[in-house]
Amino acid sequence: MIRTGLLGIVALAFLQGAALGQMRAPHASEAACEEPTLRCATKATPTFAPDGTLWLVWMAGGQVSVASSQDAGRNFSVPIQVTTKRLNLDWGPDARPKIVVDRKGGIAVAFSIFRDEAFNGQVLYTRSADDGRSFAELKPITANNESQRFEALALDQDGTVFAAWLDKRNRVPAREAGRKYEGAALFFASSRDGGATYTEASLARDGTCECCRLGLTFAAPGRPAVIFRNIFDGGVRDHAIMTFTDVSTPGEIHRVSNDDWQINACPHHGPSLTVAPNGTYHVAWYTNGKARKGLFYAHSRDEGRTFSAPMALGRPDRNPTRPFVLAGPAGTVMVWKEFDGEKTSVQMTISRDDGETWSPPKTISSTTDTSDHPLLVSNGKQTYLSWMTKADGYRLTAIEVQP
Amino acid sequence: MRFRFAGIASLVVLIASAAALGASPALKPFERGTWQGVLKGHAGRPVLVHFWGVTCGPCKVELPLLGQFAKDHPDVDVVTVSADLVPNLPAATQSMLDKAGLSSTENFIFNDGFVERLRFEIDPAWQGDIPRTMLISRDGIITTIEGSAEMSDLEKWSAQQLSKH
Repeated sequence: MIRTGLLGIVALAFLQGAALGQMRAPHASEAACEEPTLRCATKATPTFAPDGTLWLVWMAGGQVSVASSQDAGRNFSVPIQVTTKRLNLDWGPDARPKIVVDRKGGIAVAFSIFRDEAFNGQVLYTRSADDGRSFAELKPITANNESQRFEALALDQDGTVFAAWLDKRNRVPAREAGRKYEGAALFFASSRDGGATYTEASLARDGTCECCRLGLTFAAPGRPAVIFRNIFDGGVRDHAIMTFTDVSTPGEIHRVSNDDWQINACPHHGPSLTVAPNGTYHVAWYTNGKARKGLFYAHSRDEGRTFSAPMALGRPDRNPTRPFVLAGPAGTVMVWKEFDGEKTSVQMTISRDDGETWSPPKTISSTTDTSDHPLLVSNGKQTYLSWMTKADGYRLTAIEVQP
Repeated sequence: MRFRFAGIASLVVLIASAAALGASPALKPFERGTWQGVLKGHAGRPVLVHFWGVTCGPCKVELPLLGQFAKDHPDVDVVTVSADLVPNLPAATQSMLDKAGLSSTENFIFNDGFVERLRFEIDPAWQGDIPRTMLISRDGIITTIEGSAEMSDLEKWSAQQLSKH
């Protein structure tokens, strides 16, 4: 009898072990499926080519793919994979593949991977010179082997591609010299051949937050502007903006807002920047500082030197997140996500007076499962919400300009 | 019957000891409702719940300090939750916990692709920044530390919990 009992207990112990082992393996996924198709994407990034074609780059099933649409996202071309094998793509909340398309139809793509088990990142890039039918072999954007993440691409009027990213290479000399080094650094490079080759990486700013997306655009021809979460004195992770003198010369940084968010953490929640044709900078960001908490908007009419008083966005009881702002043909549009405990909605507001006043927020889309950040994209005539959702797939929704 | 019971009891102790000495307990999946389960399961005891992630630089620095805190304060229930986005990495998560001396604490890993919903259950205002530590007193009062916690603050809180008891 005792032996039977023993066997029973031993068997039970093994069964428990097996059950625990099974719990380790499969994980509920952010993705609807594991194929490289758009339906399975967790992140999708749009851009309109000068000829009006919508291009989309997405990550799904460990691969990065590109497709185009001639009918505003209703139908897409056969996807082309820019990756030739499954990669450990950067799946951080603020990571996503980037794409720009120039006047000649050249397509520049960049994205990050985790290159080792310590989650050090690497920015890879590629280019298509044949209207997206094929892509060049992937190359690292810099030969340096320290961690790089959160790349951003912007296209100048003359076809110059400007790339910026967060880079940890300067930690090494600082450590060797016994100096404290917080966060990462803003690095940049540019390409005069449509993203086929990039200049050597250069430092724009040391001491940035290391885990938030950048906001990047051209403020004027030859003058990239980037907004990023900086680390100010005392470990305060507030936002700063830098307008370059030209694509190889960084400018001064200016503080967007004194939120006083002193935190040694990864907020995983970067800002958004757009510059209107008249030169007004519009920015939106998240903070949890002593001075204010939540999502905020501000504008600058002096090339990013000073900003208007921060305007709060969204319902505080609905956890507003992931703001995106775009100056478009019918006004300046902002979107962000809100969550009510069951479903996520995209809220939209529009300003027709260059950011002075804004319409009451309106729900323009919603979903009942996980979703990508809401993005805005414009073809010069119409602004669209671009939103990848797990439950409902990819959506491109025209922003209704009527109040 | 008494002999049989004693034998079984001895074996249970033996298996429990072997488990304690051997492999780390498995990561538990953190899903819908898990947070309420954690609160109920530790009700009446001081609990430190630490949210972290394998790709978070400040977390890597803080985790070993927390391991030492857990070792020094057996009277505080230490619970860790890997709160990175899914796909999460159980092997990397367990490896970092082991290295930090947190093998034997109650360790969870986010196991729901809808992380907004998981976070909302824990704290509707939490947007996903990590590390994050929630200190739950015996009477259920929650103190949230955003970012890396100062160990001196944890010591102070722990001492307050003991003095109240």
